[in-house]
Amino acid sequence: MSSPRTMLEVKGLAKRFSPRSGQAAAPWILADLSFHVAEQEFLTLVGPSGAGKSTLLNIIAQVDGASEGEIFFRGKLIETADGAALKPGWNCQIGYVTQDDNLLPWRTLYENVTLPLKLQGRFDATGKARVDDLLRVTNLSGFQRYYPHELSGGMRKRAALIRTLAYDPPIILMDEPFGAVDAQTRTQLQQDLLRLWHRGGKTIVFVTHDIGEAIALGDRVLVLSKSPAKIIAAHNIGIKRPRDLGNVYRLEGFGELFEAVRKDIQ
Amino acid sequence: MLTLFYETRAMNTRVIVDRMIVLALVIAGWELCSLHFGTIWFSSPLRVLYRFGEEIRSGDLFFQASYTLKAALYGSLLGGIPAALLPFVLRRHPVAGAILDPYFVGGYGVPKLALAPLFILWFGVDIAPKVALVASIVSFLVFFSTTAGVNAVNAQYVSVARVFGANERDIARHIVWPGAIPYAFAGFRVAAPYAIGAAVVGELISSNRGLGFMVQSGATDFDTTLVFVSLVTLTIIVVVVNLLIGLLERWLLRWRPPQRHLAARVAGT
Repeated sequence: MSSPRTMLEVKGLAKRFSPRSGQAAAPWILADLSFHVAEQEFLTLVGPSGAGKSTLLNIIAQVDGASEGEIFFRGKLIETADGAALKPGWNCQIGYVTQDDNLLPWRTLYENVTLPLKLQGRFDATGKARVDDLLRVTNLSGFQRYYPHELSGGMRKRAALIRTLAYDPPIILMDEPFGAVDAQTRTQLQQDLLRLWHRGGKTIVFVTHDIGEAIALGDRVLVLSKSPAKIIAAHNIGIKRPRDLGNVYRLEGFGELFEAVRKDIQ
Repeated sequence: MLTLFYETRAMNTRVIVDRMIVLALVIAGWELCSLHFGTIWFSSPLRVLYRFGEEIRSGDLFFQASYTLKAALYGSLLGGIPAALLPFVLRRHPVAGAILDPYFVGGYGVPKLALAPLFILWFGVDIAPKVALVASIVSFLVFFSTTAGVNAVNAQYVSVARVFGANERDIARHIVWPGAIPYAFAGFRVAAPYAIGAAVVGELISSNRGLGFMVQSGATDFDTTLVFVSLVTLTIIVVVVNLLIGLLERWLLRWRPPQRHLAARVAGT
């Protein structure tokens, strides 16, 4: 599937880490990996644990370098070669929500959520209003002055999410952000995420090992192979939006898609 | 001593009663010793109590204690503050850190009390050599503790902060520094009794003021009551200083989850 407006394009990406002593060459983590993401698309990547999903996002976020391949952001080449001077976040254009919430324990919820805006010098009236709005939408109002250890797991996840949404990067990478919470909280978080995404303007690349989650959230699901990871299948998710995630198995066509993706992975 | 603060939180009546019993036994043993060996060697709890009151009323105890405390405080600040900042400089200059490392370790190994005569030669007999002695001890304890904190910085916090626009200075200020504060504090907490001890040793060697001088002059005059008054005062000072550091630490580190498991372990509940 191709779109007239491509947000992000990954071409022939490959990665291996430097070899351990006594090892001739380290194994490839990613091999010849190519895909693209359209503007405002919700793309999900699903693959087995240890497939190199986090490595892939680290490279796109410029936290880590690539061994081979190129990445284009809105048509512009992002320097990704190993050893090149990386620019994490590509000037705050690429947001990254990691597996762990990584909230700073010594800052209150509000101080955590507003930190990116402060560091970018954008903590003005508009920024404040935006943060307040996000706090309200995610039911975190009233907890602004709590420290992370005083919040529940789900609240911390939502805080991590709106910390990135608050500074409004056009594309957000998400690395199994709802991994370590119970099933009910997880559904709630997914629903929150979709609601926020429906407000428009955001492109999301969402990585997960959970097939159901990938289908329930995405416009399109890419299936990653076992390591070294490459794209082995792509599915357009035609399920109507807005989707009610409380009843995901009853969604039109969910069962067939689930079966298809499961077969791809095996 | 280190866990005194958490101890008090979990204290229950049973523990308080048992502690009073231990205190009574210690005092009774002391009294027995003074009865058996004579008050010339052991003084006696009552004599010490009376003398303590006398020395407080005359203002002498306050005068001597404040001299010792001043040396300990100045030395702790003079040695501790640069030692708490140095690890942040070395973090940005890892090569310099690697070059200097063996010298820090070597310096830590030098028995500092043996430097006291040298400091007296250099700085005279007033407060300066005591401050130097305290600083030489406190600085190494705080330096190594803070360095451990700087090295323990969570790499994920740093990565995430870079992604949302933090530069090196932001990272030092918002991530490395707050993360290292508990470690710097642990250094100061451990150093506090040593700081007071070092000030006292400085006074023992050469001084005409301070609690160390009181111990020395008491012993010279066979005035064991005065020696014990000084020792009791020193003990009280160390306990109070520890409590104050604990309170300051709790306020500064209020973002940390309460450490109840520690309290439970100490109180044996």
